[in-house]
Amino acid sequence: MAAQTDNLLRYRPWRGEPHGPLWASAAMARVSVRLLVRRRLLWGLFGLGLLVFFFFFYAQYLVVWITNQLSTETVRFAGIPVTVGNLTKFFDRLALNGTAHTFGNFIWYQGYVLIILLALAGSVLVGNDFFHGSLPFYLSKPIGRWHYVLGKCLAIGIFVNVLVTLPAVGLWVEAGLLYDWKTYYLDNLDLVLGILGYGLVLTVSMSLLVVATAVWVRRAVPIVMIWMGLFVFLRMLGDQLAREVDPRWRLVDLWNDLYLCGLWCLGAEHGSIRPPGQPEFWEAWAVVAAVCGACLLYLRRRVQAVEIVG
Amino acid sequence: MTPLTTHHSPLTNTLISLSKITRTFGAFTALQDVTLDLPPGRVGLLGPNGAGKSTLLKILMGLIPPSSGTGRVLDQELGGDRDASANWQLRRLIGFMPEADALVPGLTGVEYVSLAGELYGMPRREAQRRAHEVLSYLELEEARYRLVEEYSAGMKQRAKLAQALVHDPPVLFLDEPTSGLDPAGRDAMLRLVERLGTDHGKSVILSTHLLADVEAVCERVVIMAGGRVRGQGTVAELRDPRQHRFRIRVQGDGVSFRSELAKCEVKVLADNGHGEWRVAVPPGWVNLDFFRLAETQNAVIRSLVPDDETLEELFLRTVGA
Repeated sequence: MAAQTDNLLRYRPWRGEPHGPLWASAAMARVSVRLLVRRRLLWGLFGLGLLVFFFFFYAQYLVVWITNQLSTETVRFAGIPVTVGNLTKFFDRLALNGTAHTFGNFIWYQGYVLIILLALAGSVLVGNDFFHGSLPFYLSKPIGRWHYVLGKCLAIGIFVNVLVTLPAVGLWVEAGLLYDWKTYYLDNLDLVLGILGYGLVLTVSMSLLVVATAVWVRRAVPIVMIWMGLFVFLRMLGDQLAREVDPRWRLVDLWNDLYLCGLWCLGAEHGSIRPPGQPEFWEAWAVVAAVCGACLLYLRRRVQAVEIVG
Repeated sequence: MTPLTTHHSPLTNTLISLSKITRTFGAFTALQDVTLDLPPGRVGLLGPNGAGKSTLLKILMGLIPPSSGTGRVLDQELGGDRDASANWQLRRLIGFMPEADALVPGLTGVEYVSLAGELYGMPRREAQRRAHEVLSYLELEEARYRLVEEYSAGMKQRAKLAQALVHDPPVLFLDEPTSGLDPAGRDAMLRLVERLGTDHGKSVILSTHLLADVEAVCERVVIMAGGRVRGQGTVAELRDPRQHRFRIRVQGDGVSFRSELAKCEVKVLADNGHGEWRVAVPPGWVNLDFFRLAETQNAVIRSLVPDDETLEELFLRTVGA
């Protein structure tokens, strides 16, 4: 027994075939996800995201149920005639009818939870690497600097898709079950591709933005402040200026730009987008592309400047 | 002793071979005409701040290319951008222990070392198994499941060594491995490094300011200053033999013995006040003369050893040259 224990503790050489650097990015992403999952706050935000999903899930079911139940009769409730229109008016704004706007609206509202989650995730996933000097640990390994960025972006992408894309696909599946499923799934296959496209746009842009912001300011509180500026202050500013000066001012609202790109992926008509007076799709795409490009340039410069040997 | 073999690289007689390596940053020359030929073994890289040690390590790890000159580490050619795949290959052969903290907060010791293994390209399961083995070997077995940020300074240094060792590299680059350690921790770390060389055939490049660390662990030294190599070889080769100098410890009537030595043209260079002197003898002096003289002056010689140059003296002489 003693001999066996000694044998276990002995330093042994390792012989095996090493994987390429992309595996390292995947490992980095997995470990980053694990780091985030250990935070209790994240589970609170996940719970909130789940509430938003369940709200849409049951509201969609309710609208279809009410429509089916009351399509042929008028019920009097406390003496007031109740029609389908009365009951579903509350949900009209959310367009819970299994169309492009249903999923666009879901992602729009789920975005609030996502934005808060990513603001907090940035400091844990990337800020700490700069703040605690972990970067030399990563960059001294047989990987390129972009593999590091890719690993971190993959981790953020996992959260984006778990919180946004997967539930949106779930709503699409539910919509099919509520209507004539054969017809719905066949006719609206492009919608699921649109949801995946919207998810991809969000994954790429938000992950680059989170990584770049976290590399810049590193700590959670400054990241949240920048996030607030980007997604709250600029939204209010853009909204005000769009109403009073030019609709193009909405382009300063990045979440709105992403929403427009998403609706383009979902195949929505430009004229049907609310609130009315939106910039063109291509303008939103241009802003999103410019933001991603700026993040990439910034990341290239900052990650390049890291000294691995002291 | 385990031979120096890994899956990465065939046996080779040369660890590092550099020929006229120069590296400039704009108008500043960090390294100039560095030529080195080092066999596998434990090598100390010594030099004051700004000597070019860090730049040399970066070039050896393929993090920056040399501006001119050629070189090889084991069988890998140096050169190219840090993101070139040849340099990834080179870094697979090297385990690097940075001077910076370089820990990932939130991970346990075993997760940290296992992640390092995966970053080196090891499959996940093997990286995990290996992380346990290496941590046990480095006496961190009991702390494996604790968060790395909760480790003591000595444990952090060992965790950093473990992440450098996880993929079983033939070469270890250790940047100030004893930095921030208490004397006991320092001794333990140096013993570990030495054992890796003697028991497991690892080559070690030890970059440090601490001459005692190099003296304790390394077979060879490379002394750098002003971006140039000022000396390289074994410590014994580089030391001035100083056959005319001795350390002598005397008991008894030291005063009269010392005055007799002076009459015989033996100069006392230093006296520590506790009966130990460093002396320089004239040509033709033999050791027996010390004992003859001591006998006549009622003094007893407790020890007599050649006063060879210390590594500190060697370093100062070489850097000052």
